[in-house]
Formats: sequence, structure tokens, C-alpha cells
Amino acid sequence: MKARSAFSIQRDVIFAIFLREMNSRFSTYTFGNIWILLEPVLMMSVFVVIFGVRGRGEFGYVEPPVFILASFLPFRLLWQSPMRRNMKAMGGARGLLGFRQVRLFDVFLTRSLVEAGIFLVSGTVLVLGMLWLGFDAVPMDPLKTLYYGMILWLFACSVGILACIVADFAREVEKTIGILTMPLMFLSAVFYPMTIIPTAYRGLFAMNPLVHANELIREAWLPLYESPVADPGYLYVWTLCAMALSIASYRLRWQRMVAR
Amino acid sequence: MIRLEGVSKYYPTRFGPKYVLKDLNIDLPDGRDVAILGANGAGKSTLLRLLGGIDFPSYGKIHSDRFISWPLALASGFQRNMSGRENVRFVCRIHGVRETEAIEEYVKEFCELGASFELPVGSYSSGMSAKYSFAVSMGFDFDTYLMDEITSVGDAAFRKKCSQALRDKRESSNIILVSHSENMVREQCNAAILLAYGRAEFYESVDRALYRYRNL
Repeated sequence: MKARSAFSIQRDVIFAIFLREMNSRFSTYTFGNIWILLEPVLMMSVFVVIFGVRGRGEFGYVEPPVFILASFLPFRLLWQSPMRRNMKAMGGARGLLGFRQVRLFDVFLTRSLVEAGIFLVSGTVLVLGMLWLGFDAVPMDPLKTLYYGMILWLFACSVGILACIVADFAREVEKTIGILTMPLMFLSAVFYPMTIIPTAYRGLFAMNPLVHANELIREAWLPLYESPVADPGYLYVWTLCAMALSIASYRLRWQRMVAR
Repeated sequence: MIRLEGVSKYYPTRFGPKYVLKDLNIDLPDGRDVAILGANGAGKSTLLRLLGGIDFPSYGKIHSDRFISWPLALASGFQRNMSGRENVRFVCRIHGVRETEAIEEYVKEFCELGASFELPVGSYSSGMSAKYSFAVSMGFDFDTYLMDEITSVGDAAFRKKCSQALRDKRESSNIILVSHSENMVREQCNAAILLAYGRAEFYESVDRALYRYRNL
């Protein structure tokens, strides 16, 4: 054995957990690891077809399937999945923590990175698929889209870590978040733009940071959309607070969480 | 040298904190193979987990400059739906071993599981998993091996093989062993820690420790 730097240990551990997670998630399926892409692509396709075909010409400035792709793809793969995967990290991590090299944070980090990767790859596949079908699905400003996507992802990962830590002493949090997922989606301007909300209620809707994330991504993705409420500063503050709170509570609690 | 400085460990229970170890100050010198003795619930496994760095003292510090193995227990961290070989690869990777082939083959040969080595670890019987975990840890070169009752399972032939392997390993490294088997302790160890009454005592002589242990 030779000593490694902390950084190289973490790199090795993250790679090892990554392969292990892939294995434990998909090895029992016939198609194996393909499911990691097949699942989001299939689900997005279903949503794009159901919601996209139904409301033909509703928006005027964009074709409905593209609108759904631009909103639901980031919301599902950069908010819901990373948040939930991080929240449930303890379940999969139990066995891993029998090795001193593996820290709980490595599990969070791996899961977050995997979710980001899934977003990038399945997003590319879906955009190419839509192009092939004749829709103009390429983001108008790809870099800006990715940038706001990244902020949303950071926010989701932090909230997930925080939920995981709180759930360690109050399991109810997992249930509550599970119940809130659906209503939150309908309140987060996913399947509709903020422009259809009456002006009087916009302020109320705009309290939700996810609304800002969705609207900012939409502004960057769709050429003609301009959001009435989107405010990057508001989203940054929420993200920074969530990150600070999750890292701080992780520091306070992680040793207790791994103790049996 | 592994040095424990004022190490206490408690678990929160609904009756308040339950101390398993209280204010331990022990030096484990290099070159000693140490047995940890104590009644059930005296904190033997907890001490081993603290030494293995997978649990942490509530107070105090553990200093060490040695490569210490993970605590080798019956239920150590193997993924149940991954095969024996894949689990070996995982352990190799987190230890920074890139060329995993040699260790895989060594473990396969040592654990004598044959074709079961390619099957999920969850399908192993308790004897098989004991053999398997033991074989995996033997595949790596640690300075100190931590073992928790692992050698008491398994058939006679394999136990003999384990003893032989441990004797070979002790040429270059040390072991810290939790065991209720006096023969095992006598054979493999030349020092002991006795955990009793919330305290720990280090004995240079195994026989004295065993005598005290029997008369607790």
C-alpha cells in the first residue's frame, strides 16, 4: 500500500461508487445499463407527446412539444431526480460505509454527478430526436441554458442533501417531500409559462425559486419568450442558502449518520 | 503505533447517552498482535470499528500512521447483488489499485468458492461469506488487519488455511482480533486488551489477560 493524496482517494472512491451504483441499479434488467438513458428518454417522449400534441398552437411563439421539452426536461432531470436520489442516499450507502475511504459525501457527489450526466446525454438525444422529427428544438442560447440548468442542479443537490440529513432524525421528511412533489410541479410553471398567470398572482408564484429557474431556462432556450418575473438574483440567493445550509448540517451530522 | 487518547464512545438512546467505551488511553505498539477480549456488549466491535475508521469517537482522538484494513466482520460492506468478482473490483478501486486482475485471481483461489465466485454475494451462505470476506482482505497488504469473529465460521479445513495465512501475514504486518475462542487468541496473538467495567487494560501477556477474562 502506498499513501495517496486526499484528492486522489476521493477520485478513486467516486469512480468506484459510480460503477457500483450502475451495477446495483440496472444489473437485474435485461437491457442493463441502457436503462439509465432509456428511462428518461422514454418518459420525456411520453410527456412531450401527451402534453405537446394536445395543446396545438397554444403559445404562438413556440411549438408545444418544444415548450414541454424545454421545461419538463430540466425540471425532471435537474430538480426532481437529483433531489430525490440525494435524499435517499442513506439506503444505498449503508454497505459502502464499511470502508474508511468512503464518506457519505462521496455518495452524494457521485449521485449528483450521475444525474447531471444523465441530463446532458438524454437531453442531447431528445433534442436530436426532435430535430429529426422537424422541430426546431435546439436552445437559442445553449451556454446560458446549461448555466441556469447548472444552478438548478446545484439547488436540487443541496436540497436533497439537506433532506437526507433531516430525514435521519425525522423520517417523515421523506414522506412529506414525496407528497409535495406533484403539487410543487404544478406550482412551478413547468407545463405553462408565467405569462398566462394573472398579473395579480405573479408575485405569489414568484416566491417559488423553481419558478425562476424554469423561467430563466425557458428564456435562454426559446428565442421569443420573455419572462415577466424571472430574476437570477433571487435564484442565486436560494441556491447559496441551500448550499450553505446543507454543507453546514452535513458537517454537524455526518458522523452520527454513519454510526450504527 | 496506534494511540488512543481519551477515547469515549456513546450511543444516544432514549434513556440518555449509553457509554460503550469511556476515556480509553491505550498505545498499541507496532509488532504486537492484539486480541480484544470482553463480555458481550463490552464494546469490542465498537472499538474495532473506531480503529477501522468507519465509526468515530464521541470524544478523544485516535492517532495512527499505519495502513489499517476495514474491520472484517461477517456482514462487511459487500453489495449483495454484485458477484464476488465485482465486489473485489470495487474494493480494489477504492484502495487505488488499478490492475485488479491479480487480486481477483488471488481471492478466487484463496476463497475456494469455485463458480460461486461469479455469482451474487447475496446468495452465499454464512460460511461462504466468511471465507469470501477473509479472502478479500488477504488480497491486500495492510499494516494492520482488523478481524471481528470472522475466523470462527467456516469448516475445519478452511480454518486451518486461515491460521496459516494469518501466520504468514504476521511476518510483515499485525492483526487486531476480536474472538471468543481462546485457542485462536493463544495461537495468533501476543498481547491483549481486556474490556471490562467500561475500562480497557492492555496486557503484554495473553495468558494473564485470558486468566482475568475468565474470572470477570
